[in-house]
Amino acid sequence: MKITVRTKHQNYTVACNEGERILYAALRSGAPLPYECATGTCGTCKARARPGDVRSHWQSAPGSSYLKPERGEFLMCQSTAHADCEILVPGKPAAEVAGGLLPEYLKGALCDLRMLTHDVAAFDVKLDGTMAFRAGQFVAVRTAGLEGYRAYSMVNHDERTDRLSFVVKRLPGGGFSNWLFDGSPQNQPLEVFGPLGRATYDPSEGKDILCIAGGSGIAGIMSILAHSTRAGHFEQHRGRVFFGVRGMRDVFFHEELSDFVTRAGGNLEVTIALSDEEVPASAQSDYPRLGFATGMVHLVTSERMSDQYGDAVAFVAGPPPMVDGTLRVLIVEGRLPASSIRYDKFG
Amino acid sequence: MAWKKACSVNDVAVDTLRKFDVGGVGVLVANLGDEFKAYPPACPHMEEPLEQSGVCSGGLLTCTKHLWQWDMRTGEQRAPAEKPLLMYDVRLDGDDVMVNVEHELEYEYEEEDDDDFEW
Repeated sequence: MKITVRTKHQNYTVACNEGERILYAALRSGAPLPYECATGTCGTCKARARPGDVRSHWQSAPGSSYLKPERGEFLMCQSTAHADCEILVPGKPAAEVAGGLLPEYLKGALCDLRMLTHDVAAFDVKLDGTMAFRAGQFVAVRTAGLEGYRAYSMVNHDERTDRLSFVVKRLPGGGFSNWLFDGSPQNQPLEVFGPLGRATYDPSEGKDILCIAGGSGIAGIMSILAHSTRAGHFEQHRGRVFFGVRGMRDVFFHEELSDFVTRAGGNLEVTIALSDEEVPASAQSDYPRLGFATGMVHLVTSERMSDQYGDAVAFVAGPPPMVDGTLRVLIVEGRLPASSIRYDKFG
Repeated sequence: MAWKKACSVNDVAVDTLRKFDVGGVGVLVANLGDEFKAYPPACPHMEEPLEQSGVCSGGLLTCTKHLWQWDMRTGEQRAPAEKPLLMYDVRLDGDDVMVNVEHELEYEYEEEDDDDFEW
């Protein structure tokens, strides 16, 4: 079917498959419509349709708190159409869809599931095809038998790859979480839609980087470190990473982070912020290349960065309260311009 | 004119925002150090409550939902914001911050001002 998307600035005609999310159809056809999480949480992709033209597949999505249903407002990421229709999208389309790469649907299979901590697992998806993505991007993942897509940032980075790596924190009662942690997901088929997200790293910007992550938000930061290390970024520029977790038993990727520190030859510092416990005496000797501090990660960032922000580009990823607290620090203390702050909030 | 007291000058710290009920109208008062300003309490983008989502720094107000920014003195938008901030007139009467709330200022979230965009 055909969806006519009207914005104040431009109109787009989008071919949409039966059952396809309207946002995904638009993005893959190159219409750079506003969105952020693409999975129902943030409300950024709201639009309007005439009564009965679109159907929401998740009425209680957190992002629906931004909607006025009586005006026909709906979330493009959670809705499908069943016949040709016209929708209105408020706000300005972005300059490009997602890091300049059009997202597409790819099939794959889950492999190499392994536990990183008591409640964080890593897994890979071996794709049937290949995907190019920018460091910091994510994909929407769907499994047979579970309604809806979940967003996961890639941990790895290559210009083009047939394998995507992810981390997931166990969420009691979460459908995908139960499927992953309690089921037999090994080799099960998955569908991914991506790449998505505009919080991307570009080595040609040539600036210091400051990365602040809470919990599994470290995923996209690992991708940025992989790309920046490969691009020789730390030969010329500094990098600082602040990784917030509750306690020592929640830390993961120590070896990978230590390895990035070594390869950066003194220009990369990684600090693990423990929100709920004092730094044990053994931490420093166990992980000599990492720094440790006690406190919420945005407060540790504030204390350690002090007046050393310079003109860094900052990447922030984690749960919304952690991201919002960090954005305040970057704006008020770091005086960073909005164009130098890139973030991923996931609920 | 409908000048009403919003708060006292000591109620809002420098470089912060606070929301007050001014005769039934929610008004966000900002203290810029040498000047007070007053705005409607919701972000013009997605109605985020600016008292919580707004950050003041260096004369700029930023909504942490999508990093929309405005010049706090003029209300003018800075990229990526697409709409200016509306402002109430403010004057000081001794220690009282007085706001002119003749009409409640509200943003056109539904684009009703634009005939082209309406069905």
